[in-house]
Amino acid sequence: MDRNQITKWLKAPAKMANKYSLHVIYFCTGCGIIEIPPVITSRWDAERFGIIPVATPRQANLFLITGYVSVKTLRAIIRTYEQMLEPKYVIGFGSCPINGGMYWDSYNTIKHLDKYIPIDGWIAGCMPRPEAIFIAVTHLWTLIDKDMANAYIQYRENYEFYRSNQEMALGKLEWPPLYPIHSNVRAVENE
Amino acid sequence: METMVIKVMQIILLPVLALIIGVFFLGLARKIMARIHWRYGPPLIQPVIDMIRLFYQNSVSHGRMFDLGIILSLAGSIVVVLFLPFGRICPLSSSGGLLVILYIMLLAPLGMALSGGQGANPNISIGISRKLILSLGYEVPLLLVLLSIMTHYKTISIIEVVNIQQSTGWSIISFPLFLSGLSYFLILPAILGLRPFDISSAPQEISSGPMVEYGGKYLALATIEHAFVLFISITLFVNLFLGGAANPAIFFVKMLVVFVLGLCINAVFPRFRIEQAIKYLWKWPTLLAFLSLILTLAIRS
Repeated sequence: MDRNQITKWLKAPAKMANKYSLHVIYFCTGCGIIEIPPVITSRWDAERFGIIPVATPRQANLFLITGYVSVKTLRAIIRTYEQMLEPKYVIGFGSCPINGGMYWDSYNTIKHLDKYIPIDGWIAGCMPRPEAIFIAVTHLWTLIDKDMANAYIQYRENYEFYRSNQEMALGKLEWPPLYPIHSNVRAVENE
Repeated sequence: METMVIKVMQIILLPVLALIIGVFFLGLARKIMARIHWRYGPPLIQPVIDMIRLFYQNSVSHGRMFDLGIILSLAGSIVVVLFLPFGRICPLSSSGGLLVILYIMLLAPLGMALSGGQGANPNISIGISRKLILSLGYEVPLLLVLLSIMTHYKTISIIEVVNIQQSTGWSIISFPLFLSGLSYFLILPAILGLRPFDISSAPQEISSGPMVEYGGKYLALATIEHAFVLFISITLFVNLFLGGAANPAIFFVKMLVVFVLGLCINAVFPRFRIEQAIKYLWKWPTLLAFLSLILTLAIRS
């Protein structure tokens, strides 16, 4: 550990621990799964920075969504995201979750993932190189330092918006709302 | 009065020491595994960083028993630590023996099972049943090993076993007992839940089994419990077979040697299936332990 980090540790232990202990749950629905193994194994060794894959959303605090998101997997993504414990961060990997990418006119994929769950950061590209994950993580560290990685707070505050969007895409949801719904906010037009 | 104060101090200090050593071993295990994989590996204090993060995170409880079970298993582990002599530090070891340790060691998996039962996740049930079957597998050779130790030294007190070994030599190099030592070393990864025997907490098969619903503080407590289990089983090995030690520093060095040796052997093996694990545990370690017990009886009578 760097010596000038010790004062940071003493000042804000929670923030520093969040930064250097990112337990990742990977949601590899479409492409992108092949970029993950080099990152977590000997080639790029993400464990140097405390980034390790975990098997369950309860233990994770970083949610990495790689590749396109079909309507069917959106349901699983929302359930996984809502089971994670706060503070939690989400990174969209590849251009398909950003704006649809090459599936921009597909009837069966979600074009803008940030209408359904809040996203802290994006990695653009089709596909991005595995190093891009490290760049995204360093950007996420900067955001955590500046208290700007607060997408999970936005999800709590704008839950009506996200819930109505989810219902619009998936029909009736079979699980109860995560947070109490106060007002009836109109959803954005469906794609 | 003076001895009383020292005893109370030891009772408070020994679990703290055990926790520090156990967490250090967890970090060391990750570093050594990384080096075997030709990686750089995380910093040694990575488990501490993880634990700080987990204690600051929100956590979800699944009911009263979910909270109490994990505390029960943690308390059981701490009590076992008090009965084990660590160097010359042995606050309660004069009042108990191997039998007491055998009984209280059951509390840790039992607490985990109770806590998991409330979790109501199917992965927990599979993990718990695998863990209990595995403990059925390693309890048989463990009991045989302890029986031959007790027969050979004609005592059930650990502190006496340690004292006799310090005057007559380690039991791992004495004739019938080195078979027992080998047997204990072979089942050590099963007790610790290390790689060839991490069946109950397999992340790829059953989403880390009993840990699947633990997050936040619960996961931190489970990690601490794991650290205690590491400490307990290695301390038992050092006390029974490597002759304990006159002071804590030498004892720690002996623990380190046993741990690193076991880790290097077991880091390169893939995971067993449950029936393969039982087959292995009831074959070679049990055979060695049984042979050792018969030889001990023959020599002693």
